Amino acid sequence: MKRALTLLGLLGVVTGAFAAAEVGKPAPEFTATDINGETHKLSDYQGKIVVLESYNQDCPFCHNHYRTGAMQELQRELTAKGVVWLVVNSVSPNYPSHRSPEAARKEWASQKINATAWLDDSSGAIGKAFGIRTTPHMFVIDQAGILVYEGAIDDRPSPEGDPRTAHNYVREAVQKLEAGQQLAVSQTKPYGCGVKYGS
Amino acid sequence: MFVRRITNFLGVAWFCLAGLSAEAAHTEARLILAAETARPGDTVLAGVQLRMDPRWHTYWRNPGASGMATKVEWQLPAGVKAGTIQWPVPEKLPDEDLTTYIYTNEAVLLVPLKLAGDLGPGPLDLKASVSWLECDLQCVPGQAEVHASLNIGSEIKASKDADYLHTWQTKAPKNGEALSARAWWEGAGIGKSRYLLLEWNSAAAVSEADFFPDASEDFEVQPATGRVPAAPGKFRLRKEVKKLAGDWPRQISGVLIQQSGPARLAYEVNLPIESSPTAAAVNTSPAVATGVVAPSLWKMLLYAFLGGLILNVMPCVLPVIALKILGFVGQAKDEPRQVRKLGLIYALGVLVSFLVLAGLVIGVKAAGHKAGWGMQFGNPQFLVVLTALVTLVALNLFGVFEVNPGARVMDAAGTLASKHGPAGAFFNGVLATILATPCTAPFLGAALGFAFTQTAGIIVLMFVVVGLGLASPYVVLSWQPGWLKFLPKPGVWMERFKVAMGFPMLATAVWLFSLIPLHYGKRALWLGLFLVILALAAWVYGEFVQRGRAHRGLGIAAALALLVGGYLYAVEDQLRWRSPVSDTALAGSLKEGPDGIDWQRWSPAAVAQARAQGRPVFVDFTADWCLTCQANKRIAIDVPSVRAKLKEINAAALLGDYTRLPDAITTELNRFGRAGVPLVLVYPKNPNEPPQVLPEALTPGIVLAALDGAGR
Repeated sequence: MKRALTLLGLLGVVTGAFAAAEVGKPAPEFTATDINGETHKLSDYQGKIVVLESYNQDCPFCHNHYRTGAMQELQRELTAKGVVWLVVNSVSPNYPSHRSPEAARKEWASQKINATAWLDDSSGAIGKAFGIRTTPHMFVIDQAGILVYEGAIDDRPSPEGDPRTAHNYVREAVQKLEAGQQLAVSQTKPYGCGVKYGS
Repeated sequence: MFVRRITNFLGVAWFCLAGLSAEAAHTEARLILAAETARPGDTVLAGVQLRMDPRWHTYWRNPGASGMATKVEWQLPAGVKAGTIQWPVPEKLPDEDLTTYIYTNEAVLLVPLKLAGDLGPGPLDLKASVSWLECDLQCVPGQAEVHASLNIGSEIKASKDADYLHTWQTKAPKNGEALSARAWWEGAGIGKSRYLLLEWNSAAAVSEADFFPDASEDFEVQPATGRVPAAPGKFRLRKEVKKLAGDWPRQISGVLIQQSGPARLAYEVNLPIESSPTAAAVNTSPAVATGVVAPSLWKMLLYAFLGGLILNVMPCVLPVIALKILGFVGQAKDEPRQVRKLGLIYALGVLVSFLVLAGLVIGVKAAGHKAGWGMQFGNPQFLVVLTALVTLVALNLFGVFEVNPGARVMDAAGTLASKHGPAGAFFNGVLATILATPCTAPFLGAALGFAFTQTAGIIVLMFVVVGLGLASPYVVLSWQPGWLKFLPKPGVWMERFKVAMGFPMLATAVWLFSLIPLHYGKRALWLGLFLVILALAAWVYGEFVQRGRAHRGLGIAAALALLVGGYLYAVEDQLRWRSPVSDTALAGSLKEGPDGIDWQRWSPAAVAQARAQGRPVFVDFTADWCLTCQANKRIAIDVPSVRAKLKEINAAALLGDYTRLPDAITTELNRFGRAGVPLVLVYPKNPNEPPQVLPEALTPGIVLAALDGAGR
């Protein structure tokens, strides 16, 4: 009986926690502070394409994208076109992977991150609202604020090798949006390490 | 400056050194073999052992919401082939709300290695590259090159790790066939979310159950599991499926977990997903699980036609056919066109009856009750009526009474077989159909089994084709009047033939009567007495009403009185035919006599239990009204050689009694593509192998050969 209740409860929690962002619907609004102390709201970027990247350098999948330079290249390529690229770190302070704003600024520099901003999501609010599960987990939001892509960054779930050889879903999504075309792939299974939410 | 260079160099050197060992930071990988020496052609069990530090874990073949499954890339010498990995049952880790399937402490991934028959003697170096992701609070990818040495020689020599590997074999999920698991969608789903229901048989009380799905790119089974009420003996789970791309999946595979008391059992299943529970009840592709290949439609139609043809010579149909011949002989002198017409009408009678049967099957199927082929004979009231009917027909053939042309439908019972002309031809067709049903001939079995798992349209088609097979000889004869030449000329022998045909009909009545005690126990006596009263009434009617000249009214009254009185007293009051005796559950052994086979009652749990004990299992699905089954039993099963063989291989003998058409057996029959009995299965000793389905017509040779294979 107890187990059944726990299961039911879990079911409720899961649906509650992740009755989150849905592809084809408007992306949830959020307000967050970046590592430089500035506030960002999703609605600030209405009219621009927004890419969210869930980040945790301690995860080998994520680390591989940075170590090879592939992630930084993609960030530079897309921000040059006017895309807003937001790095979201939802790791809770309970975990060693957590970065204080100061440590984060150091990492930003040493990793040569080319994104628009690094949002501090240690509370996990953005993560839970969007249903972020892994690092890296990518979200592409169009100029009207609709979530058009959610899932893996590419089709190569591996902690090694060169991600440039893989088919990149984020680049494809942005290209299609700019051309005004329909996306072929709107949802894939994200890979990587689990996001370390606190409780 | 210099110091920094040294530290950098040392740091790099340290990294290189760390990479060389087969240990990542927190997991150790090793390759173990169950044999030191093996012969060419053998299969050697290998195990990739992963030993993890406390708190660190690696992942299952479906890692879950995050993580990565362990990969094994073999570098094997020529002549050695690696099979698929048998993954031990993982733990489900609900971490916050992200569920993963992991291994902690120790996990051994078992891989069977097949050695070619032409391998030369000597040592072989077996290598593999294992890569994994190990996680605690952080994740680290791991990689190791493992190897082991195997000697090829003239005998098998187990290694010191053999027992250890066999222990891990028991931790791998078992084959889930015996569970008769089904999967179907709960509804059409909303957007990208749809609920899946999984149901399986479970004899023991289940405290908890779960389903670990296999990974897919196009959909994701959510981790939460809901329990849904199910019929006793069954367990039902509900899982949400989220679609990522493409259409909704048609197949679901994974591991069913069942907790019964202290035992945690796991079963591999690979199920087609049906759209509704009644459709799910008749599994259309048991191919993978049972090794029975789903035959093509044309082949099945051919079998159906042949089956219909063969039905003509079945003992329960033959007397009617003989009567049909009489009709032809009588008509042969008349216009050929009339004969042709009658032949076609006979065929029409058969086809219409089959269509009615098809409609009945579809209706019953739709009503949710699983229909078996001999369903009419399982219904006690129908049995009583049919017995009485056939008795009357026999009496009519004996000449006890006649039924005049133009008699009403109520009198059709006695009229049917002996009527001439179109109506007679039609009812001959109908009667032939009714009597054919319990005789599932060899070809017919598989064909009908196929039909029952199909849509309504195909069911109708199948039944029509069987009907055509049954009717075709007469249509042919009616269209080739020339061949009627070969039929004998009419004469006094016809009348004698007619009376003689009354005897097979009487035998059919006796056989039907033998099925009565199953439903009514000792009360069956009263049906017998009623039949005698019926005969008396028939004689009174024939003698005084039809053949008599005076006292006609008295004759009718007497006959009616006998009929009604007999019915009210014998059938309603004493026989109580509306309330058959309920199934008395006979516990334990169904052994017949001291040397007989020690039959136990069949159930999916009994099969699973025997297989878990490593015993081969011999399953016989039979029914008292199934003549082929009884023949098989007498000729090929209950014979000394088979009895001895069963004892020799320590096989469990399970009897599935289908006489009353229990649902559980109907489901099982459908799984193997059969609609009715007989069905004989031989499950081999190795619990991972599927059962062997024996042909419908058995010989001792066939049975012994199958048992031999199973015992090895």
